[in-house]
Amino acid sequence: MLSVRQIQKIFNQGTINEKSALSSLSLELAAGDFVTVIGSNGAGKSTLLNSVAGDFPVDRGQIFIEGEEITYLPQHKRAAWIGRVFQDPMQGTAASMTIEENLVMALRRGSRRRLRRAITHKEREYFRAELCKLGLGLEGRLTNKVSLLSGGQRQALTLLMATLREPKLLLLDEHTAALDPKTAAKVLDLTCQVAEDQRLTTLMITHNLDQALGMGNRTIMMHEGRIILDLQERERANMTIPGLLEMFEKAGGANMLTDRMILV
Amino acid sequence: MSWQVLSGTLEQGLMYAIMVLGVYLSFRVLDYADLSVDGSFTLGAATAATLIYAGFNPWLATGLASLGGLAAGAFTGLLHTKFKITPLLSGILTMTALYSVNLRVMGRPNIPLLRMRTVFTDFAQVPWVGSYSVLLLSFISVTVLGILLYLFLETEIGVALRATGDNEHMIRSQGVNTDAMKILGLSLSNGLVAFSGSYVAQNQEFADVSMGIGMIIAGLASVIIGEVLIGTRSVGRTVVAVIAGGIIYRFIISIVLQLGLAPTDLKLVTALIVITALVSPAVKKKLFLPAFRK
Repeated sequence: MLSVRQIQKIFNQGTINEKSALSSLSLELAAGDFVTVIGSNGAGKSTLLNSVAGDFPVDRGQIFIEGEEITYLPQHKRAAWIGRVFQDPMQGTAASMTIEENLVMALRRGSRRRLRRAITHKEREYFRAELCKLGLGLEGRLTNKVSLLSGGQRQALTLLMATLREPKLLLLDEHTAALDPKTAAKVLDLTCQVAEDQRLTTLMITHNLDQALGMGNRTIMMHEGRIILDLQERERANMTIPGLLEMFEKAGGANMLTDRMILV
Repeated sequence: MSWQVLSGTLEQGLMYAIMVLGVYLSFRVLDYADLSVDGSFTLGAATAATLIYAGFNPWLATGLASLGGLAAGAFTGLLHTKFKITPLLSGILTMTALYSVNLRVMGRPNIPLLRMRTVFTDFAQVPWVGSYSVLLLSFISVTVLGILLYLFLETEIGVALRATGDNEHMIRSQGVNTDAMKILGLSLSNGLVAFSGSYVAQNQEFADVSMGIGMIIAGLASVIIGEVLIGTRSVGRTVVAVIAGGIIYRFIISIVLQLGLAPTDLKLVTALIVITALVSPAVKKKLFLPAFRK
């Protein structure tokens, strides 16, 4: 499904701030895989997701989706395959536009935009039904501006937008980290639900080890731009949080134990 | 204010409101302060005046003038998106280049159109129109263009364009080529501005190479006045607001002139209007909210 081959990314190459974010990283995802990604700050998790999404070109290596090479495609062309939810709830939606306008932009992901009226009556009904599933009462607020929504509501809306067109690949970059615990749990529930319903291939970054082991079917741990652990099936089922922390320490020394990981 | 001054101001307001629609499109919808407006307004006037002076059909001349504006906007857009030049500098570069282009187009600093055939003299031939030609044609033009702009902003492409101005990263991740959107938006914006310039030249019966100076600030002032007085709750309302803003701005200028200020002081007055509008939220905060002591 997704095939990342030997990609390398160095930021600020040739300067004093040079930072190797990904070094010769390879990753294969099968269709329907739900992979959680963990690692300390600066391990290259976000860089990996952003490289796949096409925020910037990689320095070396190749990326394929469903056998098609996307390494050199700009971000807006890759969007045909990819749905994304960002860490910052402000990033995934257009604040000055209405809920239905935001949804219709997501509904046209991957298709040509034309000079015809953006939202039809039928689509409005469809949006209402989909928003109803979120259980946040947004179905009655289609023409409200998104700036009126709370962070959690915006993140739930972004998740709906990312999955409205059944993406081949769903990229979640700590999408619940900025939410309060209750809202975060709600958004995570919705995530599991939609990933299961649509059998989405998903890459989810998290700092919560409980989520990392509890969600999906595979966990990878990153360190210094590499994948240092790839847990699947039996091995993953038998893994515990203390066990994972131990792996962390073994891999990169005690400094990998950041406060955020202990406080799960 | 006499009836003559009143109707003259209204005519001008309606004509300049077309330019304000263009400024609204770049400044508000795309969130792009596009200074090429100063040049493209003159380009519209210069192109129309030159062609009319050479005996072209004035309607055709107006159309070609607008196309010139479209091209100028596209040029600014290309500078910004393909060569990563900042929005302000891209606009200034186009504006500066256009000054020479406009002189080339006209072949001299100004062209008189006294007693020439213009769109307004043509329109006056329509039954019942007569001396209301300028007023009616400007009104019809700004109304039609305003409605078209509104309808465009509600299309799929229009929604993508608005999102480009709101949250570029988001709309790119929804599969929109934001570079193309910016070029499109800036083209349409400058096309409207040039259209307005061609009308103004035909109405005042001359084109001058410096007639566009300060146009962007007048446009900004109009947009802000309209938005403050009428509001921005929906796209349709905002379009109406900026048109009204353009007309109200002309009335303010007219009143200031009636009060005895020299026409040469107008740019200062306009700048003060914009500064007041931009500063007022900050002033309000200072006055009514607790602040840190210095």
